[in-house]
Amino acid sequence: MSDEKNFILDVDNLSIYYGNFQAVKDVSFHVKAGEIFGLLGPNGAGKTSTLSAIDGLLKPHSGIIVVAGYNTKEKPLYAKASMGIQLQSTNFQPELTVEEIIELFAGIYGVDLSKQKLDKLISENNLQESRNKKFGQLSGGQQQRVSLSLCVLHDPKLLLLDEPTTGLDPQSRRQLWERMEAMREKGHGILLTTHSMEEAEAVCDRIAIIDHGKIIEIGVPQTLIDKHRNDPEVIAVSRKGKITLEDVFIGLTGREVRV
Amino acid sequence: MQTNVPTTSTVLQSLLRADLKTQWRNRRAVILTIAVPVLILYAWRPLVEKAGGPFILGSCITVGLMATGLMGYTNSIAKDRDKGIFQRLRVAPLPSWTIMASRLLVQLLMIFIITGAVLISGYALDNITIPLAGYALAFLAAIVGAAVYLALGQLIVGLIKNPEIVNATTRLVYFVFIMVGMFGSTGLLGKITEQYVIWTPYGTVQTIIAGAVDPSKWTTTTTQALLVTIGYAVVLFVIGIRKFQWSYK
Ligand SMILES: Nc1ncnc2c1ncn2[C@@H]1O[C@H](COP(=O)(O)OP(=O)(O)O)[C@@H](O)[C@H]1O
Ligand SMILES: [Mg+2]
Repeated sequence: MSDEKNFILDVDNLSIYYGNFQAVKDVSFHVKAGEIFGLLGPNGAGKTSTLSAIDGLLKPHSGIIVVAGYNTKEKPLYAKASMGIQLQSTNFQPELTVEEIIELFAGIYGVDLSKQKLDKLISENNLQESRNKKFGQLSGGQQQRVSLSLCVLHDPKLLLLDEPTTGLDPQSRRQLWERMEAMREKGHGILLTTHSMEEAEAVCDRIAIIDHGKIIEIGVPQTLIDKHRNDPEVIAVSRKGKITLEDVFIGLTGREVRV
Repeated sequence: MQTNVPTTSTVLQSLLRADLKTQWRNRRAVILTIAVPVLILYAWRPLVEKAGGPFILGSCITVGLMATGLMGYTNSIAKDRDKGIFQRLRVAPLPSWTIMASRLLVQLLMIFIITGAVLISGYALDNITIPLAGYALAFLAAIVGAAVYLALGQLIVGLIKNPEIVNATTRLVYFVFIMVGMFGSTGLLGKITEQYVIWTPYGTVQTIIAGAVDPSKWTTTTTQALLVTIGYAVVLFVIGIRKFQWSYK
């Protein structure tokens, strides 16, 4: 609790229920300015639920969430204005063009959208060819890029990205990693969920491994590998004699396939 | 990096601009919504003498209002909710009610267009003339009447999540209202039905619009119909909004 003010996001003792089912169990973590934090977990672990409590789509059973100094319960609009959000499944009006969607979101985030700013956003997200196309006519990857372009529109302190690279081709994925790193340099905090260990190792400064709604490990990827390299469960799943983050992940969360 | 919460009016303007564009891109459905009442108006030319101009205008406007409120509004909400369009808007710094308010403002525009189209066509096709006050009052009555169908639509999307089933339900309700309302209120289904039909959500709306078009014929029954109309709208909206969920995912 000491230097809480440097946290862009602070989640304390978060619990989420769907009816009687507890999807998130007493989860606590924080994201600092200039940090990429990865929330790793198998399907159904509670990643999206955790993000939904932060972005306000879901009312948590208990816990405190502070975004850029704003308690999400007391100052929801200020907290939301401090976040750039990519939901796991985002959709926009299929009848609107890419430019019109960007104009809409500039309006609702209170951003003055100059011609230069629009052009820059379009080119940074490789949307030049689709800028006047209707959203419904875009490919999956193009739709994803529209959604990502809206995350940074208002220069938010915190980025919430729910599986942002799922469905992207390797080139787009690399490019997104580079853009995340550029955002980090500028002091933005990024919380991303993923089940790609490669992604976690490549871009995350710290990660939390979550399973069955509980955080089971939290720390720097290499530190976690070193800490668990001698666990029998981890050695048992390792291949070619090298311990990777994926081995640690599977060792900790089990081999069973989740759907 | 600053935190900037836009004003509600900025938010509403942006939402409304987008919703109007969407409505415009779906103009084929909009044209159909207007064309049906105008066609009925044309087909009923021989009945004007017997039933009276206000009755005919009231019926045709009611049909148009049902189409836009019950089908246009309701199906678009069910569809957009299913796609997750609302969820992305709701994580932006805006009060959730503005999302619906913008949709309802688009409906207000539709109400004006439908009412205007029927009144103008009534004059042009059927030679129905009404007093000047009748024009102004017709728009007011149309807003009150449309509220019933918007509220009923709100209730339907509150109770049913699947957009296909919402679509089928609104079509069915629309069909039943047209059948019972039009044939019932013309006495085709017998005198008894005629008495009851005026208290259905079709009948009260038709009655108040017909009454508004010719204020000199406004009776106690019309006033009662107005109260029942408002009652329908309020009750349906309250239940509809309580039951409404932004997402089922
Ligand atoms: N709306 C809901 N109603 C009931 N259970 C839900 C709902 N959303 C998610 N769950 C359940 O909560 C758990 C966590 O889901 P989620 O947060 O989506 O996981 P993840 O994003 O890690 O895949 C899963 O068991 C899922 O089935
Ligand atoms: Mg998820």
